[in-house]
Amino acid sequence: MSTAGCTGGDDGNSEGEGGSQENQGEQAAVAGETLTLTTTTSTYDTGLLDEIHPQFEEMYGVTVDAVAQGTGAALESARNGDSDVVMVHARGLEDEFMRNGYGINRRDLMFNDFVIVGSEDDPAGIQGMDSATEALTTIAEAEAQFVSRGDNSGTHTKELNLWEAAGTEPGGDWYQETGTGMGEALNIANQQGAYTLSDRGTFISQRSEIDLTILVQGPIEGGPEILANPYGVMAVNPGVHDNANYDLAMAYIGWITSPGAQEAIADYQMNGEQLFFPEAISEDPDFQQYVPEGWSSDSADE
Amino acid sequence: MIRLSKVTHAYGDVPVIEDVSLSVDPGEVVGIIGPSGVGKTTLLRILALFVRPRDGTVELDGESVWSVEEGERLALRRRIGMVFQESSLFDATVARNVEYGLRVRQGWTDRLREQLRSIAGRNGSWDAVDEALDLVGLEDKVDQSARSLSGGEAQRVSFARALAYEPTYLMLDEPTSDLDPRNTGLIEEAIQEARDRGIGVVVATHDMHQAERIADRVGVLLGDGLTEIGPTETIFENPTDERTRKFISGELVY
Amino acid sequence: MSLEAVAQSLPALVDLPFREGYVTSIIYVSLYVSVVAVTLSTLFSIPVALAMGFTDFPGKQFVKSVINTGMGFPSVVVGLLVLFTVSNQGPLGELELIFTREAMIISQFVLATPPITAISLAAITGVSDNVREAARALGGTRLDVALVVIKEARYGIGTAVLAGFGRAISEVGSVLIVGGNITSSQGISKTRTLTTAIQLEARQGQYETAMILGAVLVAIVLVVNGIVVRIGDTGPMDR
Repeated sequence: MSTAGCTGGDDGNSEGEGGSQENQGEQAAVAGETLTLTTTTSTYDTGLLDEIHPQFEEMYGVTVDAVAQGTGAALESARNGDSDVVMVHARGLEDEFMRNGYGINRRDLMFNDFVIVGSEDDPAGIQGMDSATEALTTIAEAEAQFVSRGDNSGTHTKELNLWEAAGTEPGGDWYQETGTGMGEALNIANQQGAYTLSDRGTFISQRSEIDLTILVQGPIEGGPEILANPYGVMAVNPGVHDNANYDLAMAYIGWITSPGAQEAIADYQMNGEQLFFPEAISEDPDFQQYVPEGWSSDSADE
Repeated sequence: MIRLSKVTHAYGDVPVIEDVSLSVDPGEVVGIIGPSGVGKTTLLRILALFVRPRDGTVELDGESVWSVEEGERLALRRRIGMVFQESSLFDATVARNVEYGLRVRQGWTDRLREQLRSIAGRNGSWDAVDEALDLVGLEDKVDQSARSLSGGEAQRVSFARALAYEPTYLMLDEPTSDLDPRNTGLIEEAIQEARDRGIGVVVATHDMHQAERIADRVGVLLGDGLTEIGPTETIFENPTDERTRKFISGELVY
Repeated sequence: MSLEAVAQSLPALVDLPFREGYVTSIIYVSLYVSVVAVTLSTLFSIPVALAMGFTDFPGKQFVKSVINTGMGFPSVVVGLLVLFTVSNQGPLGELELIFTREAMIISQFVLATPPITAISLAAITGVSDNVREAARALGGTRLDVALVVIKEARYGIGTAVLAGFGRAISEVGSVLIVGGNITSSQGISKTRTLTTAIQLEARQGQYETAMILGAVLVAIVLVVNGIVVRIGDTGPMDR
């Protein structure tokens, strides 16, 4: 599909990617506009977006307003038409968003993973387990201190999914719901020597300040697949909100899933470690990224 | 001339003054005497065109004050000055207080310009302000803060404030009751001076001797109307009404 | 020493992990939003306080209870209400105010007005009737008298404005909700204030950085307080 402002040979102006920015900005029908992107706090706090957005902004002569709200709020803003494009890592909620007609043109973006961290003492003895659900069950049975985000964030959603998959319902004095961001939650877990589920990125950035270690690895380092944390990006459906900046949203999605941006994502490091692994481009078809999981033409609801 | 004809006023159901008729001309001092609380203040307020009486007419130079438009009435009222028992000076310099009457009579563009000038630190001064302060002997206090004045000085500044814009009439409500003899004397001098300049002055006072000193005519208010009004000498030496005579001689005690 | 120089030397002094211009830009947004909101609120509150103090009008009791309720009204709820209003789905959606400084100003206006009105009202009714009467007797119109009252009550009104400013600049929850805490990718603030920046540092667990920004915020509040008190010259203490 073509996007507005796509650099091409149409006007005979194309000079490859080193083409004059002025030209590209003037060609683009979206120049001078602002794209409102809502995303999660953990995504934003890694600093990835501030790092890669300038390239997109220069290409089209636009500004990206990245609003870090948390998964639920990011989707709600998009639902209300207050943003143009939404980037979260909660597939179940993304699917619901699409099913209800608010989001279109979903693409897989990148992934990182979750890790289960805790103090070195490891009172519940979960170190090195290769099943996340088993680790959680063990923690529950030992009634070891566990800190939960409790805020409907992507991380929290994943945590709840894990409990559900483990067949255990967490509750009791040992299970604390904080309602805070990931960084704070890690601090709290650190102070109490508790376990918690964290995205790898936040943990890496905090590592120097806390005494927790990774006890159950995520798939990036060979751990269970269930701890994968895939990110998706969706455009707000202009059919529902006619003021949504659809052209610019599609330009953004096109750009961020392009080889150049995907490489920039892979190159992004924090404290010397890679944080995100690009997923948007592959040789083999991945139809599942465009539709809610489990959807097929046979199971059409409408 | 300010003329009151058969003026009656009450607060709620309580009658304050009844059926009072009197007039004031420029260039005379009329004293209103009577015991405290009898309605002197109310009478003064009616004379100053502040309070609309329940009954009766109020005329200024032939114009019926309460039958005209608000704007017209404001213009009429602005020809009258008033000094109250408490000095009620503004929290500002003496100069700012005294010039107030002049300022509010300016057009808005002029006022704005003055305001900007004073913010820039260049305070203009009006000659009228200096003259008015001169009259009460306080020309050297021009830039002092009003709050720093003594009671007597404050009342004198109040007087100057009411005089600065050259009103035709001046109403004074117990102007010296709270003052020492020296300040009282200075105010009384200023009253005479104002009269000599052609201003019609009405002074309400419970000190009948003060009225005897400074008034040309005296009206006696004794609780149910103006008992009598006439030249000072007459009132004090040869009053027509028996109640007046008793009040003057101190027999009538309220 | 200019604010710019102080703000830029600050990172050097305390080794803040911020890009150049970041701290200056969030200070600017904080001040811009708060000062505009408090100015608008004062222009609105003074006439209301004058009306409340000296006239009777239908609904006066209602206004009074709205002001009193507003004093203690949870600010984050105000944020939600403003969000509902300016969101695309809301009545003012057409104006596209969501995630802008203007929405933040609206929110802070709503928060600052009750204290400014209530404290101004107390100051204004504290002006003695004699002074008002004198102003009228000297030939003042109703407007003149109102101006006199305002000048007489200026210290109390100054206190009111400071109270409103304090509430506005300390505000976190509501400006976060309606503003979105946005900066450009170069780190220049669009809707990020000192308070929301502190919130961001805190949620990342960067408490030391948060404290430093907090110190900057306190310094600003002290400076503003100092300026207003200074403007009041000697003030009522010298009576």
